[in-house]
Amino acid sequence: MVRLRAVGEHGREDKNTSKTFCINDNIDVLIEILKRLDDKSIGVAACVCRLWCALTRNDALWEHLCFRQLSPPPEGVRTVVAALGGYRRLYTVCVKPVLTRLRKMKSGGEMWTRHEVELSLSLFCVDYYERLFLAGGGGGGGRIAGDAPPSSLMFLCKAVNV
Amino acid sequence: MKRDHFNPDNFSSSANPKMWPCQPDDSGVDELFAVLGYNVKSSDMADVAHKIEQLEEAMGTFHQEGLSQLADETVHYNPSDIASWLESMISGLNPIPEFESSSDPFLESSTSVNSQMPLDLDFGSDLIAIPGKAVYPRAQPPPKKLKTSIASAVPLPPATPLLVDSQENGIRLVHTLMACAEAVQQENFKLAEALVKNIGFLAVSQAGAMRKVATYFAEALARRIYKLYPANQQDSAFNDLLQMHFYETCPYLKFAHFTANQAILEAFAGKTRVHVIDFSMKQGMQWPALLQALALRPGGPPSFRLTGIGPPSHDETDHLQEVGWRLAQLAESINVEFEYRGFVASSLADLDAAMFNIREGETVAVNSIFELHQLLARPGAIEKVLQMVSELKPKILTVVEQEANHNGSAFLDRFTESLHYYSTLFDSLESCGVGEESVSVQDKVMSEVYLGRQICNVVACEGVDRVERHETLEQWKTRFGSAGFEAVHLGSNAYKQASMLLALFAGGDGYRVDENNGCLMLGWHTRPLIATSAWKLS
Repeated sequence: MVRLRAVGEHGREDKNTSKTFCINDNIDVLIEILKRLDDKSIGVAACVCRLWCALTRNDALWEHLCFRQLSPPPEGVRTVVAALGGYRRLYTVCVKPVLTRLRKMKSGGEMWTRHEVELSLSLFCVDYYERLFLAGGGGGGGRIAGDAPPSSLMFLCKAVNV
Repeated sequence: MKRDHFNPDNFSSSANPKMWPCQPDDSGVDELFAVLGYNVKSSDMADVAHKIEQLEEAMGTFHQEGLSQLADETVHYNPSDIASWLESMISGLNPIPEFESSSDPFLESSTSVNSQMPLDLDFGSDLIAIPGKAVYPRAQPPPKKLKTSIASAVPLPPATPLLVDSQENGIRLVHTLMACAEAVQQENFKLAEALVKNIGFLAVSQAGAMRKVATYFAEALARRIYKLYPANQQDSAFNDLLQMHFYETCPYLKFAHFTANQAILEAFAGKTRVHVIDFSMKQGMQWPALLQALALRPGGPPSFRLTGIGPPSHDETDHLQEVGWRLAQLAESINVEFEYRGFVASSLADLDAAMFNIREGETVAVNSIFELHQLLARPGAIEKVLQMVSELKPKILTVVEQEANHNGSAFLDRFTESLHYYSTLFDSLESCGVGEESVSVQDKVMSEVYLGRQICNVVACEGVDRVERHETLEQWKTRFGSAGFEAVHLGSNAYKQASMLLALFAGGDGYRVDENNGCLMLGWHTRPLIATSAWKLS
């Protein structure tokens, strides 16, 4: 639990009415803070306590992370992404690798373009479809799965051999 | 050590830039060495360097006594001639079984490097020396020991990656492959048989892509010679599995899908009822991305109908239906109205326009990825299919085909073309996930098997069995033109998406996307390998 010692209105500590500010009581502030973090920090934050863990699993947070550098956020994407597995998965599987990989190519600029968004979403959809194969079970899935489940997005997960 | 010779003061003021190694066609003496008192022909510079390296290596492994003995006992006849000095030093260190005196220093140096195993260059009593340019590019018949020289290599087309490997065995390997193919074309099977055995030996000495390509071509040639045609090439389930691994390993199929989808998406702009007919259904990997793009397009998704064509399956499962079911699940998740129908047909020519039940007000797109070339095996089939497609009145026909001419009438031409094509393809496979685990070994191996089957089909099969009859984009353009189609330009969106997709792949900088009159081509370095084009009825 984080405690902040609040300074009273007149700039001096009033011993009788000293308040401690518990962040966990002010979830909206906490969320505002979490929204500004990068993905690694969110991961670290998730380890703090159960409340924080639950908050970091909130998809809205990851949506913000995915698209905060894009202006304006694309329309109608939310339902599709939710159906295909959620923003957290989108970020981990597609957005992060696409961004890091393509950042190396580009000289600068933090904004990512419409094309990159479209590409990430398409790849995410392919990922969902491949997971359907695995969920398909013995008959049809066995044809593909072999021993290791193939994922065409695995090429995104590992470092580029540039 | 070598660099010390290049004292900048020694450069003459006329700035004759002699870089290391020298140009081979200059027959003069190297200036810089001449200043130091050594007499080295510029044309020999490359192998002098090579030998100095070997000498260093050899000296490094010797005890002290050995070296002093060398210094005392090795006899040098012409110390100013570095080439022969090095030779005598090296032979002093590495006594090699007696070879006939050969004035080709390159040959000797390579044999001393190959761990003292004398190369048996006599191909056995089956072969007599082959005169003429068929095997080695020399005017007079070569002596018992066959030699080769890099400088006078047969001029292969400039786009070949094979010559990048400057090992003597690599060159020899290519020459032997070509000679074998020529022998097969001339129906000289005895000679071809002997050559094919040698290809096996030579292939083993190579590494990487060259070795694999040579092995597959050797196998295909052997099948052709011994008439052991590959059985069961039409096993569709296995082919699909192989193609899935190929899909994951390298970007060719993904490029095909994404560019075709972009063309279809643009053709469907503003339409509310759409119908896609897919000649190459396989696992349906192309369609999730299109469904997603349609779901998110401004104005919402259309109602989507998909008809998939597939070959008959050899086991009990209704493979096409399973694929359709999965796509339906996906479509339902993203709220796209979806309808599916699967048709089993052993050849596209068996299909009939009426089967597809095109409804009023539907916009039709026809898609074919690597399917149309198979129709060229039967006369009249391609015309029938194109006629059928035009009866469907599609808004767009998207075609992706290999960019190569493997359908020439002469066997040797087909062989040469496919050798270069598949070498490039295997080269690009080598760059996928080298060292990293981004591509599993299984995926890569299966992709190689996938390509190997194509090689086998191009080289070993004939007639209706030879289905891998690839043709170039120009040839397809003529065909489509005469069937009443005209080209639709793929826009810059497709180009950008394709470029980005390639940038995501390991080895991404080797791949090139090129635009060619509205068609997109994906290639490896300078060689285009597949081409996507879009067509509409004119």
